[in-house]
Amino acid sequence: MAFDGKFRRSGSELVKLDCDYLLGLFQKTESVRFEVFTKIWKETKFSEIFHGTLVHENRPFSRLVLRVAYTYFVPPHSFQIRVGGLYLLYCLYFSQRASPPEKIHIALKDWGDVKKFERDAVEAHHYDIVYILRQLMHTKAFYFSAMPMELSFKKYKNHQAPLRCEKFIERASRPQELISIELLDELSNVHSHYDKLKGSVFSESEHSSSSVNLIQKDLVPQLRSTVVDFHTWQQKRSCLKPEDDSCVPVEESGEGTASHEETNKRAQLLASIKTKAYGQATEASKSRRHRQVELELSNSVEAETLNNQARPNFKKRTSLKSRICDSVHISGDIEKATPKTTVIYRLVTVDSEGPGQTEGGNKDVQNSGGDKDTG
Amino acid sequence: MAASRTTMENEDNIPEYEYVDVNTNVFHIGSFQSEWLKRLSPQEWSYQQQDETEFDANFAKDMQINAQTMDALKSVCSYDSLCCHPEEEKPDMETVPEDSILRTLLQRKKRQDYKASLKIHKNRHDLYAEELDRLTVVRKPDTVTDMLPEGEIILTINIYYPAVFDKFNYVRPHMTLLMTGSHTLAELRDAICCVSDLQVCGEFSNTPDVAPDFTSKDLYKSAFFFFEGIFYNDMRFPECQDISMTIIEWAKSHNFPPYSQAGMEDTRFSDLKVKVGFPYLYCHQGDCEHLVIITDVRLTHRDDCLDKKFYPLLIHKHRIATQKCAVCHIFIGRWFTKNDQFAPSDPCLFCEKCFRMLHYDSEGKKLGNFVAYPYVDRGAFN
Repeated sequence: MAFDGKFRRSGSELVKLDCDYLLGLFQKTESVRFEVFTKIWKETKFSEIFHGTLVHENRPFSRLVLRVAYTYFVPPHSFQIRVGGLYLLYCLYFSQRASPPEKIHIALKDWGDVKKFERDAVEAHHYDIVYILRQLMHTKAFYFSAMPMELSFKKYKNHQAPLRCEKFIERASRPQELISIELLDELSNVHSHYDKLKGSVFSESEHSSSSVNLIQKDLVPQLRSTVVDFHTWQQKRSCLKPEDDSCVPVEESGEGTASHEETNKRAQLLASIKTKAYGQATEASKSRRHRQVELELSNSVEAETLNNQARPNFKKRTSLKSRICDSVHISGDIEKATPKTTVIYRLVTVDSEGPGQTEGGNKDVQNSGGDKDTG
Repeated sequence: MAASRTTMENEDNIPEYEYVDVNTNVFHIGSFQSEWLKRLSPQEWSYQQQDETEFDANFAKDMQINAQTMDALKSVCSYDSLCCHPEEEKPDMETVPEDSILRTLLQRKKRQDYKASLKIHKNRHDLYAEELDRLTVVRKPDTVTDMLPEGEIILTINIYYPAVFDKFNYVRPHMTLLMTGSHTLAELRDAICCVSDLQVCGEFSNTPDVAPDFTSKDLYKSAFFFFEGIFYNDMRFPECQDISMTIIEWAKSHNFPPYSQAGMEDTRFSDLKVKVGFPYLYCHQGDCEHLVIITDVRLTHRDDCLDKKFYPLLIHKHRIATQKCAVCHIFIGRWFTKNDQFAPSDPCLFCEKCFRMLHYDSEGKKLGNFVAYPYVDRGAFN
């Protein structure tokens, strides 16, 4: 916060930081209850955000705040953050100083999402969510508009792409949803049925021939373990997140001369590389599989087992691998590193495979602090 | 990504970003309106607000919850539960709170402290900013016929001043008008006030009394809007010319995609196909060119000004510093003289009164040699 004095940020950035902070607290509670939200709202005295504006600033400021809050209410944020966004809109709308109150612009393209959100809330019996959404509708707090903000072809001098707080974004859950217990049951039934049918068609002697035994015997358990692996990997990743965040200020304080803006950008860059890296770690290219790095794990035994489990499963996803592998490369010698774990600190992209690869590999070794442990 | 360009025609008329936070893709305004109306229940876009008890009863019925749960829900969600301060102490809304952890407030506090250290408390813009606000407050019409129909479209349109003045390249002054979907483009043209319409051409030092009768607006009535490859010409009067023809022919001879024409007076906003946030053109007086940006399209709301008579409604206008008379420094310059022996400079600006007193005797006879042109200040519409 001490950096704000030196580097003037735009109003919307500041409001966004404040909203991130509030919703971060809300996320920690892992609740979607309005009482919980109001408690945080009161603790942070968030309604004071409207205090001290000049009379003619009221309206533009309300518009700005509502515009920022609206972004949390629509995808790709997780359900909880969207609920938080809705509560935030409700509280802001009723605490604003402009009279008649400034309305919330709701875009036509988002309307379907809003309706789906409402349906989800109704189905889950979250009465407070539905009540507050309907209450906003009832008080006519919305402008049914083309876009969530007024567009005037503005160019910003140092425009940054709107950054989303990554913690708030919904994690992919389709694999878990798709591979349910019922589906696995069904699948194993079909599988055994098919197996039997196939067996009945051929005579006993033919059973030994390869064409009959082509089907994979352990399809169902393998599928299940893949999904479980994916889930644990995702959990691990989300557990790692807070650690990443906490390391950012340390870096900032270490580099006193660097401007806040720069360090901030660097932190974002690092974060983005890290997320790429975590995505990558499981899917190294074939040529690099011998040097594959594993995720940060607390003990080596766990690493060993997970590694063994994970290997065959990830083979299936080679097509995804080929898409990603060009963007980021990881180095680290897994063969040497089996007793120890490798931590990825920094990564370097390589332009192309082939001749550049060794060069890139060397660079990686130079840059990555984690490799020093292993080598 | 921001640069993902959709060249495809937007078939379903749901506006999407063409460039994120900059402008949308092309859509038909009338269809956009019907898309919204299709998705909403009449209750949702009506001006009438549902009764509170009725709302609660409906909600309880919908959710199948009993009265007790409903009461509990209401008390939890009531707005009163949001107050951050105990009831007895009313917070001071005008000053920035001291001990806040919100970053917005930290910065605002700094700015307020800085402003307090200045000698002048309110600048020109702060002073007048509150003035227009008063115009936009809710106005309910006296008669039902003047009422804006429910579910009508309101467009927010920015008209930028022509960039003839160096400074305008940086500040982009504009006026903002609210128009409804049933307005024609000709009505927008009439609502745009530009000083180049008021210019009077000619030298009038001998007959200063007859001068202001012929403004350019009466003489040169042609104008056009340009939206998405179509020139909308003003052809309401017999003396109007199709001034877009030159451009169209030039474009044709230079292998540009073909442009078409339409009448300004026959085109309503709901017939238009536009991009929201994208700059278009209004051209009048031959070469006075204004950018026109439709910043927002939305359904009407009960808190809007609902009286048809007030539309097109001006909700923002940039104020330009006016140039004052060289003699009194009080009134805005009306006359522009050259080769003037009485003037401190050449050329020189005078207000009506000083001009007459200095250049004519009590019978209105011209004194000395000079040429005088009527002058219209850029800030004439302030």
